[in-house]
Amino acid sequence: MQVGLKIWRYDSKTGDRALREYEVDAPEEATLLDCLDLVKDKHDGSLAYRKSCRMMICGSCGMRMDGGAVLACRVRMYDVVQEGRVPVISAMGNLPIVKDLVVDMDPFWQKMRAVDPYLQPRYDQAQERENVVAQAKMDVIHKESLCINCGCCVSECNSMESDPDFLGPAALAKGMRFVGDPRDGATVERLEKYSEPHGLWDCTRCYFCNERCPKGVDPRDAIAKLGAEAMKNGIDRDMGAKHAKWFVTSAKTTGWLRETELVPKTQGIVSSIKEMKFAMGLALKGKVPPPFPPHVAAEVHESRALFDLVKTQGRDGAAGIVQGEKALGRIESHHEASEGRTPYDEADSAPRPFLPSEREESEGVTS
Amino acid sequence: MKKLAYYKGCLASLSAKELDISTRALAPKVGYELIELESVTCCGAGDIHEAEPDYYLHLNARILSYAEATGCDTLMTVCNVCTLNLRQANHQLKIDDDLRDRINDNLEQVGVPRYNGTVEVKHFLWLIAGESFDTLQTVAHKGLKGLKIAPFYGCQILRPSKLMGFEDPDKPSSLERIIEACGGEAIDYPAKIKCCGFPIIQAREDTALAELIQPIEQAMEAGADAMVTPCPLCHLSLDAWQSKLKKQTGKDFAMPILHLSQLVGVAAGLTDSELKFKRHVVSVDPVIEKLSV
Repeated sequence: MQVGLKIWRYDSKTGDRALREYEVDAPEEATLLDCLDLVKDKHDGSLAYRKSCRMMICGSCGMRMDGGAVLACRVRMYDVVQEGRVPVISAMGNLPIVKDLVVDMDPFWQKMRAVDPYLQPRYDQAQERENVVAQAKMDVIHKESLCINCGCCVSECNSMESDPDFLGPAALAKGMRFVGDPRDGATVERLEKYSEPHGLWDCTRCYFCNERCPKGVDPRDAIAKLGAEAMKNGIDRDMGAKHAKWFVTSAKTTGWLRETELVPKTQGIVSSIKEMKFAMGLALKGKVPPPFPPHVAAEVHESRALFDLVKTQGRDGAAGIVQGEKALGRIESHHEASEGRTPYDEADSAPRPFLPSEREESEGVTS
Repeated sequence: MKKLAYYKGCLASLSAKELDISTRALAPKVGYELIELESVTCCGAGDIHEAEPDYYLHLNARILSYAEATGCDTLMTVCNVCTLNLRQANHQLKIDDDLRDRINDNLEQVGVPRYNGTVEVKHFLWLIAGESFDTLQTVAHKGLKGLKIAPFYGCQILRPSKLMGFEDPDKPSSLERIIEACGGEAIDYPAKIKCCGFPIIQAREDTALAELIQPIEQAMEAGADAMVTPCPLCHLSLDAWQSKLKKQTGKDFAMPILHLSQLVGVAAGLTDSELKFKRHVVSVDPVIEKLSV
């Protein structure tokens, strides 16, 4: 098939920038990466891009296709050609471009380093026996552990675009990978650190990271898990945390958001007074609903009782999000149709391997 | 007339009452009878999902349960954030039997009916751009007289697309089709699918304003007479925080921001008392003037 590509060429040394069009003859199974290889081999050897494994493991070939970050080795070009599209290929966003499709990953790694991406077990002496962790406890960080550091989530992060110091989705998801690890002993210090300015409360919830991640990490959900863990550990001084807490208070007292009190509850009284002029402008248009009498939902006692009830059931923190991941995972892998079936159900299939969780159940491992 | 359970959410009940009023006025014209849910609460707006996620799931299950109790198969929302929160919870409850059982036991204990998973959550935008689009075309007879409208989608009606799935999250077209059906001209600009900054506008105002200025500036440069959004949170930041952008940058955009139901409402001939433009911070008068010429 004939594949057309428009590629943004760029040289940071000269500042030259140009959109060049190429056409290559590629087999039907070709990926975007295969097509770039053909461009480089047959048309222009000066084209720069990163690649290594060609199978979505190494995370090297992150780039933008029509403005959205993708792994070039993951995108099959057949459908694109069938639609008659000539996609625009460019370097990822939110990172400085070195040449053509190659970005400088240094800011990415600096943020990664900033979340201390290694286990801190905090014991003085090595334990006598191996620290075996129950599968259910590792499931909490299953998604975060899938990250291959490709940077696709960072590319379109709206908060980072406006605040380049924002730790961002990849580093925060990595942070959750260790906060949620039962072997790590630095949970509170981590949550304190990640709750600082440019940390977890700076996420604007645009969900571009979840949309772009090629591995199903869902970094926005990881950030929400960090928020939930911070709350669980009483780390709630940040304005973002206070903002979130006020929604909980509202839901269990009046049912509906107590909108007018949200500003002083988030920013404190002093900052709110500075906002008075702005607030008056809004009040004139009816945008500042009077807090009294409060707008109370009918049967609000039910939502109060629900709060008290769930707080006794031990699903505080990230566990409240993790419990929904099984259902969310089904959309990704399209399991609905073949629910309950495994590759080992066929008569002539290989014997089913021994799963760690079963071993734990049979041996009573609980740690 | 199809009956729909209607969840208006916090803002349409309070600071964005004009959204509720115009939605109620427009719905019967496009073939819907809205049944308002009385004893429901806030969906948690992403904040409860982050602070107390287990409680978030219960609150949303309770809303879905009361929607189911109306006998309707559709729960209609008018806010992006409500749409994501409810669809996410609904998906989890529908697919995971164990999870649904546990939450239903809790609901029952506090006197809420069990949720059987029979409701679909749909935003008003999806209804009028989808199943009732033909009706919309006949209703919008007064037209927008070629007014240039910049569609602003916001985030949580497009992403995560695995939970939304109505249209391509990178190349959505529902608002454009509605604008054209109403006799307006849809303006294209890159930031129409980006964030308005609202979730962090109180805790991180500088970052939020740097996000907010992009769609307004781009819509302005593309020659838009007004912007339209399906989300009251986007509406609030685009409309009310323009004065802060002016203070920060010196640029007075004076860009009128319409709720989706107001834009269609104008074309469908809703009255002033149904549109409630007086409740906007940025004046909509220039739009009204262009339409009355």
